[in-house]
Amino acid sequence: MNAKFRDLLLTTFLAIVLGLGLSAVMILFLGKNPLDAFGLLFTSIIRDQYTFGDIFVKATPLIFTALSFAFTFKANLFNIGAQGQFYIGAVIAVWSSLLMGGKVPGPLALLIVLILTAVGGGIWGALIGYFKARFNANEFLTSMMSTYVALAIMNYLLRTVLMEKKGEYPQTDALNESVWLPTFVPGTRLHIGFILAVLVAVGIWVLLYKTPLGYRIRAVGYNADAARMSGIDAKKLYVIAFFISGALAAGAGYTEVNGVQHMLLQGFNPDIGSAGLGIAILANANPIGIIFASILFGALNVGGTIMGQMSGIPSSIIELMEGFVMVFVILSYFVRARLENRREKRKLQKKVEE
Amino acid sequence: MDTPFFELRNITKYFSKVVANKDVSFSVGKGEVLALLGENGAGKSTIMKILYGLYKADSGQIFKDGEEQKINSPKDAMALGISMIQQHFSLVPAHTVTENIILGNVKGKIDRKACEKEIGELAKNYGFDVAPDAFVRDLSVGVQQKVEILKALYLKTRLLIMDEPTAVLTPQESENLMQFVRNFTAEGNSVIFITHKLKEVMEVADRIIVMRGGEVCGDLKCSQTDEKELSRLMIGKDLVPADRGSEEQSKNGEVRLEFQNISIVEHDQVPKLKDITFDIHQGEIFGIAGVSGNGQEELCEVVCGALHPTSGKLLLDGEDITDLNIRQRIDKGIGYVPSDRYRDGMVMDMTLAENMMLKTSFGKKWLKRGFIDKAKLNGCTEKAIQDYAVKAPGPDAMARGLSGGNQQKVVLAREVENGTKLIIFDQPTRGLDLGAVDHIHKVILGERAKGKSILLISTELSEIFALSDRIAVLYKGVVQGVFDRSEIDTEKIGLLMAGYAVDKGCSNEC
Repeated sequence: MNAKFRDLLLTTFLAIVLGLGLSAVMILFLGKNPLDAFGLLFTSIIRDQYTFGDIFVKATPLIFTALSFAFTFKANLFNIGAQGQFYIGAVIAVWSSLLMGGKVPGPLALLIVLILTAVGGGIWGALIGYFKARFNANEFLTSMMSTYVALAIMNYLLRTVLMEKKGEYPQTDALNESVWLPTFVPGTRLHIGFILAVLVAVGIWVLLYKTPLGYRIRAVGYNADAARMSGIDAKKLYVIAFFISGALAAGAGYTEVNGVQHMLLQGFNPDIGSAGLGIAILANANPIGIIFASILFGALNVGGTIMGQMSGIPSSIIELMEGFVMVFVILSYFVRARLENRREKRKLQKKVEE
Repeated sequence: MDTPFFELRNITKYFSKVVANKDVSFSVGKGEVLALLGENGAGKSTIMKILYGLYKADSGQIFKDGEEQKINSPKDAMALGISMIQQHFSLVPAHTVTENIILGNVKGKIDRKACEKEIGELAKNYGFDVAPDAFVRDLSVGVQQKVEILKALYLKTRLLIMDEPTAVLTPQESENLMQFVRNFTAEGNSVIFITHKLKEVMEVADRIIVMRGGEVCGDLKCSQTDEKELSRLMIGKDLVPADRGSEEQSKNGEVRLEFQNISIVEHDQVPKLKDITFDIHQGEIFGIAGVSGNGQEELCEVVCGALHPTSGKLLLDGEDITDLNIRQRIDKGIGYVPSDRYRDGMVMDMTLAENMMLKTSFGKKWLKRGFIDKAKLNGCTEKAIQDYAVKAPGPDAMARGLSGGNQQKVVLAREVENGTKLIIFDQPTRGLDLGAVDHIHKVILGERAKGKSILLISTELSEIFALSDRIAVLYKGVVQGVFDRSEIDTEKIGLLMAGYAVDKGCSNEC
């Protein structure tokens, strides 16, 4: 096994252990036994098929929102608006699904919903890029603010045209079963949206590293001046990058609405954007790394919820745990760089001495 | 023999992938000017940064007056009377000269008047024309350097280290600097000069340490050596000057690039370029001399398409290209080697192969079924690495990891490939070592021989004279005449560069 890969596994593993270790201290402060708590955490997520499958169900939208942040990050742009793009995606997904449910054949309807969601979220995202290109508006602020606009639009629609027939709660009717994303492991909620997320992550990696468009996006991100001098239109790329980023975040709306909730509720999944951002940073914005980081966080979410229910430890301890793990994983980048550095130096020293 | 002022003994320093210094030992005496000579990447700056406490040596000792010292930070170095002026100045542009000089050396309430007075006197003592209350952002590079020197003097420096001090100066400013060095050392202080310019070494140094590949390969008295011996020590072989080849060829070529009354004037400001009219033929090297900042960059950007003139026309092979954008001009076969490759020429965080396709990412050239043809790209990059003798591990090496000269060769390889008709070279050899300069000159002449037109901009007169067929001087955005290289000499050009008309002998402004 090569040394770099060994470092990666070892340091990441250590980072997770240290993160959990520090969380254990916090559990001690709560007057509970951390060993019992962790025992519960680990046994609970593997106690049955359904719970285990849920890890991947939870990971699915995280992959999308993390990719959304990571993609623009490669162009040195900050998309803080994944939450809003997710809401826009969810609204479009639920609306088009309600219209087509039971009328259009399921698989075809699902495909159309997917396309509409991606394009709609993409346009919503592209606006941020357009404002930056046209008016030099700071994308950090506009993307952040766009979330509030998206939230307001969703809430408005949930109280008006999208409101359930009963008219009691600000939520939609349940979707016709034909437009549910099919599950592929019996006895679980694990739907094909997860496979879609993994494929999209791989696709994004290919786009970034194997195509001229991705190449240009990265070139603009690393050195906008040199890119401009090479005839690359950075402004156009801002719009394209934000379109793709918005479409990715909207993908989370699609998998949540059509795969899990099968309806749209007011204020659902309010943390999915910020969690995605954290995961993207955790994975160093690497699309493949994002898959694994999302699964890790999915597992912590599922296990943490059950631990909260069964042990009397507040389930919010899980957020603390995620925070600690994230800090240590980020630290591990620096540790790895130093290890690599030292290894190269030793190699050189040996060569010189010979 | 006397105890040396400072002595370095057996210093070794490893960076992760290179041995930066290996067993380096030398000393500097009181009142001595020591020149540290070597190519880029020879380890000159590293050894000085170790002495100044910026880097920590992996092994070795440092002595002052025979006593061993531990220098862990620039603060320790300053306490020992060492100051270092970096190649890129460390000044705060928004602060005044005085504020910059006292930065880090004052406590409590600042008596500005007293400080300004003290610094004013210090400047006067050394004959520096620097106003203590001027803002650094308003000063020219030459004056900024004086501020850096004053900063060192203010700290009562005994050993002044200067990293490539003349790289940014005009010939006159360099002369002033040399004068200062002589005065300063006459008082018993010492100076270490890091440089790769042989001429100034011979002019000012008492002793010369030559470094190559991280090791000291020569410790010579200036009076007992000559430029030839030094350059051989530095490069490790004799240098054959580039051959210009046939003289006649350029005169017969057809007109390729035509400037017609090109001006850039923005809202009543001083024109950046004024009424530029000249043409470049096929197979001709057209040199533009001038002190930097007189419109050279604008001229280049007008040709490459980054800047559009406010009036005038630009013709390539008789076709009006004034309104074409950068990408269209790249497609027309215009190559551009910018003066600031860090900013405009390369993406440092990408691999060499990726940098090779920077300007051609739109074409079909690197595509295979819609994806980047990595094998082809790597093949071309590998070939460029060999053709241009780039010292790099391979096409997948990060651009950042290469030395300046090798980075420049990569840019050169790309632009020579793209620029099928015209190549702009803006300061192609600035800051590069002799070996690289020689190589780049040969490439430029080689492209000329192929019939390409070349626009060469340089502040180094020797370079202009070595390569150009015709020479124009740019001063405040105005072309001060176009000359055949046989019609003009260094002295005349020097005057034109400073804004004097050759015949009148009087400033244009008077």
